[in-house]
Formats: sequence, structure tokens, C-alpha cells
Amino acid sequence: MLKAHVKNGKIIRFETDNGEEPQIRACMRGRAYRQRVYSKDRLRYPLRRIGKRGEGKFERISWEDALNEVAARLIETKEKYGNPSILLVLGAGNQGMLHGPAPVVILLNQFGGYTRFWGAPSYEGALFASMATYGTIKTGSAREDLLNSKFIIIWGMNPANTIQDPGTSLMMARAREKGIKIVVVDPIYTDTAAVFADQWIPIRPGTDTAMLNAMANVIITENIHDRGFIEKYTVGYDKYKDYLLGIEDGTPKTPEWAEKITTVPAKVISNLARDYATNKPSALLAGWGPARTARGEQYSRAANVLTAITGNVGVNGGYACGFMRAYSSRETILPGKKKGEKPQILEKKKQAPKKLRPQDNPVDFNAPPRENTLYKLSGGTNPVNTRIHNSKFYDAILKGRSGGYPADIKMAYIVASGFLNQQANVNYGIKALKSLDFIVIHEQFMTPTAKFADIVFPINTFMERDDIAVPWLGSPYYIYLNKAIDSLYESKSDLEVCRMLGKKLGIGPGMLDLDEKQILRIFAQPRKDIKNFNKMKRDGYTKIKVDEPFVAFKEEINDPENYPFPTLSGKIEIYCEHLAEMNNPLIPPVPKYLSHDEHYDSPKAKEYPLQLLTVHNKRRTHSSLESIPWLEEIEAHAALINSIDAKARGIRNGDLIDIFNDRGRIRIPARVTERIIPGVTCVYQGAWYDPDENGVDLGGCANTLTKDDHSPGGAFYHNSALVQVELFEKQHAEVSK
Amino acid sequence: MTQYGFYFDQNRCIGCHTCSVACKDWYDIPAGLINWRRVELVERGTFPDLFVAYTSTACNHCGIPPCMKACPEKAISKRESDGIVVVDREKCLGNKECNMRCLNACPWKAPQFGPEEGAKMQKCNLCLERLEQGKAPICVEACPMYALDAGPLELLREKYRDISKGIDIPGFKKFYPSLLLKKKQK
Repeated sequence: MLKAHVKNGKIIRFETDNGEEPQIRACMRGRAYRQRVYSKDRLRYPLRRIGKRGEGKFERISWEDALNEVAARLIETKEKYGNPSILLVLGAGNQGMLHGPAPVVILLNQFGGYTRFWGAPSYEGALFASMATYGTIKTGSAREDLLNSKFIIIWGMNPANTIQDPGTSLMMARAREKGIKIVVVDPIYTDTAAVFADQWIPIRPGTDTAMLNAMANVIITENIHDRGFIEKYTVGYDKYKDYLLGIEDGTPKTPEWAEKITTVPAKVISNLARDYATNKPSALLAGWGPARTARGEQYSRAANVLTAITGNVGVNGGYACGFMRAYSSRETILPGKKKGEKPQILEKKKQAPKKLRPQDNPVDFNAPPRENTLYKLSGGTNPVNTRIHNSKFYDAILKGRSGGYPADIKMAYIVASGFLNQQANVNYGIKALKSLDFIVIHEQFMTPTAKFADIVFPINTFMERDDIAVPWLGSPYYIYLNKAIDSLYESKSDLEVCRMLGKKLGIGPGMLDLDEKQILRIFAQPRKDIKNFNKMKRDGYTKIKVDEPFVAFKEEINDPENYPFPTLSGKIEIYCEHLAEMNNPLIPPVPKYLSHDEHYDSPKAKEYPLQLLTVHNKRRTHSSLESIPWLEEIEAHAALINSIDAKARGIRNGDLIDIFNDRGRIRIPARVTERIIPGVTCVYQGAWYDPDENGVDLGGCANTLTKDDHSPGGAFYHNSALVQVELFEKQHAEVSK
Repeated sequence: MTQYGFYFDQNRCIGCHTCSVACKDWYDIPAGLINWRRVELVERGTFPDLFVAYTSTACNHCGIPPCMKACPEKAISKRESDGIVVVDREKCLGNKECNMRCLNACPWKAPQFGPEEGAKMQKCNLCLERLEQGKAPICVEACPMYALDAGPLELLREKYRDISKGIDIPGFKKFYPSLLLKKKQK
């Protein structure tokens, strides 16, 4: 939470929540926000491109001209090619309950629809696995509940840098102070590992499933699994056991088998398995990073299943993994299911004819499900076949229907998204964006993506409008973002832009024409936890009183007769029949360790022997907050490389290095460190793509190197890329942190 | 005299810099050389046996401030009421004139100078204006880990009993820094 001090219409400083506990204290990125609002690089006026796409040459135009041009192009595209030829690209870079994508979605729904994506790079693998195992994404527990654990494993998760809800790091610290043993499994000795872990287990990236399978093998063969729990609450245990013991494929998934793959000593794997299974309740927090890999669903599925076979689901101090949404103040209905209510199965529901609502995209409406979707389950990712996977935008733009995609894309409408920088394979993306007829973007800065737009609408920040911030994974609060200052320069809110554009398109009057506070009232009305809108607005927040820390699946465990799991079987699906029906070896019905074309053991590794990680850092939120001086000085712009790999290449700390593969080449200072496993280099995602005349990315954008592909369940390749590293120039920068 | 000071728990510090960024925002100090509060990284060891910790340090408002003694112009003084060490920038000669004797005398590098010629000393004043309003220093209020605290040393010692004895800060016996430090152990 930020409290802005305003003097003469200008924000002069911030304070944070210093009121009732638990306080919602802002992070470093929030504290630095003033430098973003008043950045000299803020976009001031509507712009029209005058140079080539990507060149960054624009002219100032009036709002009238900008809106007329966008309206004309929208109408022309719709008439000539139909609504599916309009690609809507939505991001979360500048998003509240109202502003950001929402008004554009409302507007374009009324305009007849658009082609949209499916799959969120952050978590799609984890989400798919959560749905397959539990039938829901609401699988997490409140952070306070960690204090009820006897043993905690933090796997591929770094809240010390990423936050993941206020209080996450604090509760980990308090758990450690309470004497609860914490183990961190991660290829990097993260700040989370450094501060909270009693033990760090470095693991080769993308091999997490092998280790989790081996842990399950140890637990089963040593008979320390929870047989009663498995019988009562799960299906398919025997089939998973057949895979683990090698009955299915002749390879027992022993710790020795996993050691060769993961580099983690077999003894360490066995001990971790024993500690986890015998110190109950024990919490395994499986982060999304390892699920952001080519076969990421398998890691997440294996973690979910491990919590189930040890009976750590639905109990205080345990943890079910899954998607990890905990207390959900996002919910619009009363919490919990009604007693005896059967889970909703979409297949049956579909019979009833539906009426198009304002929130429905006409292009998606009533479209049949895609291949490889959990379409029978309620929730999760929208499964319609009119959508394109997020990682396949570029391929879809370039190939269209003849390439098997649902539409021929002619124009892109981009909102709050730096997707050229944040989607895999930037160089391929440039080809795609150059091929489009027209691109319009809502932006605050001239991002690498905005440079490709034909019209740029300058958008204000959340300090310049009213909005409501919805908490992220599972904290019981809302923040009301009162407007602190007037919009700077000629910038406008997303709502204002859509309202004006709607008039040009002949749409309305409708919801967009209401005052923003009226709309927020309408949005807030069905939210069960917003009981007093006026008070929330006056206080700037509403904190929801909860009697005890939220723990997912308590009802399902305590009263299984009346509260079945929302899966097809009504139980936790160790073996998932819905997956079996898909009959796709890349998303098997039990969680399996699978290799792929960007893995350490693929033939490609001969040429590109290092594995690339593209994790989050402290100084940015994805590509937002780039070039904020207060944040730039807290962490070096550099790639992590282990001293062994650096020495073999004649690289010393602070040297400028090239990291490359057949997709691209970046140039970036090296941070030679002991804090990363050998064989791996890490480029923090989010740095802005900035090519020189030879196409070498001097900005150090991680996605210049990543692969634009996905697993059938939707998991992205962002942490699955093979690269090589070479020295470019000695002693380039001071890199100390 | 009541002596005010800081408490810092190194075991809790995640190196997020929220304290130092909040300080810069509150006092409107641009990125660069001037850092009233500094977060430093300590790294030791070889893969995979490592020790990593962060230290967040401001001014320790010493019982016997070495900076005060070093200043040729008596520009640095210690307040009677709360022991907070403050600088009179009118009296300070600037960075070139005396070669920053206060900074060189301070084991924690608390005195800060800008890059420009003649830049005068500035440093953490424990947010004395906020203290007067009954508020915590901005860094203390900012820390998401509750690793920082501030107030009369006696009260801090009472509140954090577990570290009241073993203060092993270098230079402690010479300068009596007003800091309760809970050090991270390997």
C-alpha cells in the first residue's frame, strides 16, 4: 500500500501502511514509483509512427487524429477481414480492477470481438496441473499457516525478490525463528535460500520432476506414505506406483536414477523424502519457475501428487501445492460449496443455450474446445479453439489459417503489455510485427513493443485515476487506489480512451460512459468482501477479518461425503482420466519426467551446452520499472554464471559477455558467482531489447534467446533454453551485487 | 540523557532495499553517491557451501561519535535530548576543504557527500522530525520484514532481550554505536 503526500498537485513522497495489523507494506518497487510517474521518459502526447517499424521515430498528433485513425483502421479491418483478424494483446503492466485491459475488452466485445490468447507465461503449467489434480486453482494456504508446519520445502520459488503476496517472506522468517527446518531446492542460491534455508539443494534446471518422482519412489518403497489418505481421497495411486517402480517402462525411478539426471546426490534425495514424509504436517511450496519449462506441467503434477501420497492436503501445516491461490477475495459468490453439491461438469452444462453477455467475446462465443484441454472441468483456462497460445502469436501472425491457426491476423490492439520483450523469441516476433497492417498500443513509455506501433496512446498511471487493486494469490484485502494527482501531460486513462474511441466506432452509450467511480461500484458490488464501498474508498483499503488462516480443501478432507473434490472422480487425481483421454505422451495421465529439444541431454546441447534461466529480479516487475534510477542502483544489470563455467571461457566478474543460440545473441556484463549451479547461466527477464546494427541485443533481453513454443498443457519454455557464452570485452562494468 | 538508536536483525534482512529506497524517496535524494541508509551484501564460500547475508546500516548515532571529533569546524553535534548526531551544514566546509575527515573517521561510512565540488556533509538524522510527530523513522516503517526498529536504546534492549548482551560490532567499545545488532550466524 502506498500513501502519497501531495503538494501543489505533485506527489512529493510516499508512506506505506502504518495502521492496523497485518500491515500491507509496500515493496521496494512500489516505494520507487514516484520516479516512474515523473520519469522524463513518460509518453506525453498521442504519437504516430513516421519511421520504420521498430525504429522509434514518431510524430506528435492530436487525440482527435489518433482516435480517428484507430477507429478507421478497426472498421476497415473488420469489414475487409472480419473480427477474428483483430488480435487483442492484453498484459498486466498497468492494471487494476477497472483500468488496463478491462475497458478495451468491453469496447471490443461490443465491436464484435477479436482473437485472443490462451496461456499465461507466469503459471500456465502450474494451472493445468492444478486443474488436472484437484479440479480447481484454489489450492493454497494462508502464509501464516506455515507456522503450523513441522518441515518446509521451498521449491523453485524466490519470494524474497518476487514478493508473491505481502507477508510471504515474513512468515518464512518466522517459521525459521520457530525452529521449523526449511529446505530450498533451486538451481540458484537465491536470497530466499540465503535467508530462510537450513539446507540448499542445487538442482539442474528442468529435472525437478525426476527428483520428485524419486522422492515418491522412496516414500512408497519405504512404506512411509499415508495409505489411509490415499485410499480415502485419491484415485490412480497404483498406476503411478507402476511408473515409479519401473513396472510400466522398465526403469525404476530410484534416487540413483534421479541423481544422474538432477545432479542431486541420491542420499540427499532419500533424506529429503524421509524428512518430508515423516515430519508431518509438512509443507511443500512448489513455485511456478520450474513449471515455466518445456514440460512444466509434469513438475507441478508431481509436486501435487507428492503432497497427496503423504496426506499433507487439507490440513493445517500441510500444503497442497497446485496453483496456490489461497483466500480469494476475488470471489464473487459466498465461500465454499453448498453441502452435497456435486462439482459442475461443463460437458452437461453446455446443453443449455447461452445468451451473449457484455463480458463475452463474440469470436470465442460457443466455440468448441481446443485439443488437449481439461474442458470438462469448470475453471482454469478458457478452452475454446478460437484462441491462440500466447507463445504462438508470432507464428500465427506469419502463417495464419494456412498454418493451422484459427485466424488470419491483420492488426494488433495492445494494452498494458510489453509482449515483444516478454514473449519468447524476440527476433521472430519482430518479423511478425513488421508483417501486420496496423498496430495500436496503450502505453506509458516507448517500450521495445511500442516502437512497432503505428499509433501510441499515452496512458496515465494509477496515481492519476481511481481504481481498485485486487490482491494477488491469496491475501484477504483490497486496496482502493484514490486518484492522487491529475493526469500528466496529455495522458489519459484506458477508460477515457475507450470511451472516446467507442464514440468514433458508433458504440454506446454503455458502461464505458459511466463515471469511473460508478463503474468501480458496479464491479465491487458482487464481491462478497467489499461490504462498505465508501469506507474502503475513504480508508484506501479494506482488510478482511478471517477467523483462522485459510487452508485449501479442509471441507473435502473433513467431510468427503458431502464435499467431493471438484474433479471428475470427486477425488484427488493421481491418475487423471481426463488426461488419459487426450492420449498425448507429452501430458501423460500420471506425472512423468520427460526430456525435450531444449534440455541438457538433447543433441543441441553439443553446440549450446549451457542451460539458460530467465528468472525475476529485484529491480523490475517483468519489463515494467525499467530505467528507474532508485531501482537500478540496488542490483547490477548482469547475467549470472558460475566461476567454473566463467573460468573455462576466460571470463571474469564484470567482463562483457555474449550469450547466444540460433535464435539470437545478447551482450551483457557477467556476474561471476558461486550462487548458481555450474552448467547454467541466468539472465534476469525484463531488461529491454535494444539491438545494434548487427542485431545483437545490447539491452540484454532474456527472450532474445528463449523458444516460442509450449507444452500441450500450455507450459511455456522460458526456463528451457540452451545457450553458449563467450567473452566479448574485458573489464566492462562494476558488478558487485 | 535518553539515547535513541536503531535495532537491526541481519537474520531477517532479505536485501530488498525497501529501507534505502523509502529513505531516498522521503528525503528526495536522487540515485547516486548519497545514501543515508546503505544495504550491503556479504558473500563467502564456494559452490555449494555458501554464506550470504545483507547488512542495512544508517548512522549509528554513537555515544562517542568519531565524526564529531574529526570535524575541524565543530559542525557535527550530539543532541542533548535524544543523543541523535546532527550536522550543521552552514558550518561544514565541504568535501574538498577538509578532505571529508568525518567520513574517514566513521567505521560505518555514515557521513555522505555529493559528487559536486564543495558538497557539504549530510547523513541520517534518525528521522527526528518524524520521531517528534510520534512516527517511526521511514526506513523502520518501510521494512517488510520488520528487521529494523528504532527508539530509546533502553526500550529497544527491553524489547529485544535476546541480543542485549552480545554486541560484537567492531569499534563498539571505542565509539559506543547506538545499534542493537542481531548478527547472522553461519
